[in-house]
Amino acid sequence: MSTVTTISDTSAAFLTHFEANAGSLFGETNLRRKAAEAFAAQGIPTRRTEDYRYLNLELLLKKSFGFRTELMRIPTSDDVAKLALVENAIVLVIVNGVFVPQLSSVDNLLAGLKINTIADAVVTDQTCAAHYAKYANVNSDPFIALNTMLASGGVFIHVAKNAVIDRPVHILHIADNEVASVFQPRHLVVAETGAQIAVIESFESIGPVKSFTNALIEVAVSENAVLDHYRIQAEGPAGHLLSTVQGSCAKGSLYNTYTFSLGGAWVRNNVNKVMAQAGAEAHLYGLYLLNGSQVCDNHTIVDHAQPNCLSNELYKGVIDGKATAVFNGKIFVRPDAQKTNAYQTNKNVLLSDDASVNTKPQLEIYADDVKCSHGTSTGRIDEDALFYLRTRGIGQESARRLLIHAFAEEVVDKIKIESLRIFVEERITAFLG
Amino acid sequence: MAEQNDILEEFTNSEYKYGFVSDIDTEFAPAGLSEDIVRFISAKKNEPGWMLEYRLKAFRHWLTMTEPKHWPHLHYPVINFQAISYYAAPKKKPQVNSMDEVDPELRKTFEKLGISLEEQKRLVGMESRVAVDAVIDSVSVKTTFKEVLAEKGIIFCSFSEAVQEHPELVKKYMSSVVPYTDNFYAALNSAVFSDGSFCYIPKGVRCPMELSTYFRINSAGTGQFERTLIIADEGAYVSYLEGCTAPQRDENQLHAAVVEIVAHKNAEVKYSTVQNWYPGDKNGKGGIYNFVTKRGICLEENAKISWTQVETGSAITWKYPSVILKGDNSVGEFYSVAVTNNMQQADTGTKMIHLGKNTRSTIVSKGISAGRSQNSYRGLVRVAKGAHHARNFSQCDSLLMGDTCGAHTFPYIEINNKSAIVEHEATTSKIGEDQIFYCKQRGIDTEKAIGLIVNGYCREVLNQLPMEFAVEAQKLLSVSLEGSVG
Repeated sequence: MSTVTTISDTSAAFLTHFEANAGSLFGETNLRRKAAEAFAAQGIPTRRTEDYRYLNLELLLKKSFGFRTELMRIPTSDDVAKLALVENAIVLVIVNGVFVPQLSSVDNLLAGLKINTIADAVVTDQTCAAHYAKYANVNSDPFIALNTMLASGGVFIHVAKNAVIDRPVHILHIADNEVASVFQPRHLVVAETGAQIAVIESFESIGPVKSFTNALIEVAVSENAVLDHYRIQAEGPAGHLLSTVQGSCAKGSLYNTYTFSLGGAWVRNNVNKVMAQAGAEAHLYGLYLLNGSQVCDNHTIVDHAQPNCLSNELYKGVIDGKATAVFNGKIFVRPDAQKTNAYQTNKNVLLSDDASVNTKPQLEIYADDVKCSHGTSTGRIDEDALFYLRTRGIGQESARRLLIHAFAEEVVDKIKIESLRIFVEERITAFLG
Repeated sequence: MAEQNDILEEFTNSEYKYGFVSDIDTEFAPAGLSEDIVRFISAKKNEPGWMLEYRLKAFRHWLTMTEPKHWPHLHYPVINFQAISYYAAPKKKPQVNSMDEVDPELRKTFEKLGISLEEQKRLVGMESRVAVDAVIDSVSVKTTFKEVLAEKGIIFCSFSEAVQEHPELVKKYMSSVVPYTDNFYAALNSAVFSDGSFCYIPKGVRCPMELSTYFRINSAGTGQFERTLIIADEGAYVSYLEGCTAPQRDENQLHAAVVEIVAHKNAEVKYSTVQNWYPGDKNGKGGIYNFVTKRGICLEENAKISWTQVETGSAITWKYPSVILKGDNSVGEFYSVAVTNNMQQADTGTKMIHLGKNTRSTIVSKGISAGRSQNSYRGLVRVAKGAHHARNFSQCDSLLMGDTCGAHTFPYIEINNKSAIVEHEATTSKIGEDQIFYCKQRGIDTEKAIGLIVNGYCREVLNQLPMEFAVEAQKLLSVSLEGSVG
C-alpha cells in the first residue's frame, strides 16, 4: 500500500493547488499539511500499485480535470425532487462537493439528530473535532490523503445516545459543472451508544461535462448502535467516482453497508471497516450492474482487530458489453482476534465475450481459533435453469431476464427501506432492457 | 493445554534429519557475480557459443531488474548476490560407468538420503523402479538407468550433457516456457545455471518408470541454480519426481531453479516434488531461500500437465508452478501441501492461464502453519478472451496450529470470457478439537490423532503422488508435524 511512486504531473498539480489554497480551506491546516505529505509520499497509484492494479488512474486524471468547485449553476429544487429516492427522508444536498443548505431539509430535525456542515462542525463542535480524520488513515491510501488534504465540504451527522431516528438521512451528491472538475466531499457520521439510524448516500451527475468525485465518509458506530448505510451510485456517463467508507465498529454494534453501483463511467469503492472492539458485527452487501465500457472496482477491507466479531460479505455483479468489474475483498484477522467469524462471497455473471472480471478474495489470518471462508464464482447463466424455464413456455429472453433478476435479488432483498428497494428493482429492470 | 505445550515443544525441537555435511572434494568458483563468472561457468562446462550468448543476455537483463520484494508476503534481509559462489562441483569426474567408480563419500551421502544407487541397481529388471538423476551442489553426478531408457528412445540425462549431445532439442525448447526476461530469479538462473536434468520422451512412448532427480546443496557459501527441461512429444507420458535436501548451516543459502515442461498433442506430464530443503533452526537462523520458477505449457490439443508438491522445507519458499493451457481441451492440475513451522515463510501457489478452448484446470492447495510461521497461498486463474468454455475449480484450505502463526490466501481471478466457469473456495480453521477428542476416546493418543487428521486433510494431494513418493511424503508430514497442536 505504501509503494512510493515518483511524483507525477497529476500528483504535483494536486499539491500545487493545495499550496495555493491552503489558507482558504476549512479546519486545521496542520492536519491538511500532514495529509499532503502522505499524498506526496504515495502519489497517484499506478498499475504497479497492488491495490489499484486494474485501474489506469494516471490516464484518467490526466484528462485535464481542474479543481473548480464553484457552483456554476445551482440545481433547482425540481432537479433535487427528481433525484429523491426515498419518501420522508431528510435530504442533504451536496453540489460539486459543497453542501447547499437552501436545497436541503435541515429544519425541523428529529430529537437526537444533529446535522451541520463539516466545515462548521469541525471548528465549533467538540464531538466532530474529536472524531474527524481519526479513522481514515492518510498513510493507508493516496485518495484518503488527497481528500483529507483538499476536502471542500460535506456534512456532520450526529445521533445522540439511544436516539432511534425513524426517517432516513439522505446525502445526495450532484456533480454538475461547466468544466471537467475534481470534487472532494467529506462527511462524518457519529452514532452514539445505542443509537439507530439509516443513512443513504447517492451519487448523481447532471450534464455531459466530466467529473471526478473523490468522496470520503467516516463512520463511527458506538457501543450497541445500529447503522444501515446505503450507497446508490447512479452517475451519468460523464461521472467518475471514487468513494471511500471508513467505519469503526464498537462493542455490540451492527454496521451494514449496501453498495449499489448502477451508473457512472468509472466507479471505485473502498469500503473499510475496523472491528475495533469485541463483539461487533458488520455486513457488507454489494451489487454492480455494468454495461458499455463501464469500469467498477470494489475493494473492501474488514479488519478484525478484536475477538468475537462477526463479518459477512456478499458482492454480486452482472457484467455486459465491454465492461470490467474488479472485486478485492480483504479480511484481516489480527493475532488477538480469536473466535472471529468472517465470511466473504463474490459471484459474477458475464453476459458478453468482451466483458471481464478480475476478482481477488483475500484472507490474512494471524489467529487460530477462527472460522473464515471465502468463495467466488464466475460463470454464465445456468443453462439448465434456462432450459427448465423454456420448457414451461417462457421465452429465451424473458427467461434470461428472470434468472439475472433472481441472481441480483439476493442482494436487493437485504434493503430494509421499501421505497429504496423499489428504486433498485426498477434500475435492474431497466438494465436488463 | 500443558500437554499441548509439551508436544509443541517437542515438535519445535525436532531436528532436521538431513542436516549432515558430506566431505566431498569440491571445486568452487570465487564468490561474486559478473560477466567473467558467467563466462567461467560456461567455459567450465565446455559450452557452445550460443549457450554462452544466452547466458550473457540473461545476465545483462538481470542487471536491469529489481528483486520482487513488494508483493510476496515474505520478509527477509537483503540478499547479497556478490557474496555467493555461483559454481561448486564435486572434483572427481562424475562420468562413471559402474557404481564402484562413484566417490565413496558421495555414495554415503546418497545412502543417508535414502536413495542408495546400489539399491537402485539391484532393482533393475523389476516392475517398479525409478531412474534417478542426482544433482549435488551444481553438478549432476549420476544418472541411473540411462541405457534402459535409451532403448525406448527416451533421453534422460544431465542438462550439460544435453547441451553437448542434443543441442537442437535444447535450443528449440529451452527458454520457450520461462524466458530469461520472465522474472528476477529466472533471469539469474538463466545466467548462472550450472546443471540440472533434461528429459525427452519421444512420440507415442510411455515412460516405463518414474524419472527422478535428487537435488542437494552440500557446500557452504554457494547457491544452487539448476535447470530442468522436460519435453513430452505427441502422445508421450512421463511421471517425474524431484526431491531436495541440504545441510544444516547458520547461513542462508540461495536456491533459484527453473523448471520448464512442454507437452505436445495428447501428451501427459506428471511432476511431483517433495521439497525438504533445510528450513533453518527454530529461531529462524539459517535455512534455504527457495526462489523457484516452474512452468509448463500444454502446447497442443489434449495435453495434460499435473503438478503435485509437498513443501515442508526452506526458510523462504517463493514458488508458483504454473500451466499455460494453450492447446484446446488441455488440462492443468495443481495439488499442493505446504507445511511451515517455526520461523518458516512460504508464499506459494500456482498460475493457470487458459488460452485454448475447453481447457480445464483444478487447484487443490492445503496449507498448514505452526510455530511462528507464515503460510500464504497466491494463485492466478486467467481466462483469456478466446478460451471458450474454460473451467476452473480451486480449493485452498488452511489449517492453523497455535496462535502465533499466520495463514493467508491471495487468489487472483481474471476472466475475459463469458462461457468460462470459475470457482474458488477457501477456508481457514484450526485443527478440530472434537476430532482429536474422538480419536483420544478410541485410545489413540494426541500425537497420532494429529498425524491422522493432517494426513486425512492432505489426502487429496497425497493421493496424487506416485507410490515411492507418497510413503516418503507421509513420513515427512508426520515428522514435520509431530504432535504439533491439539
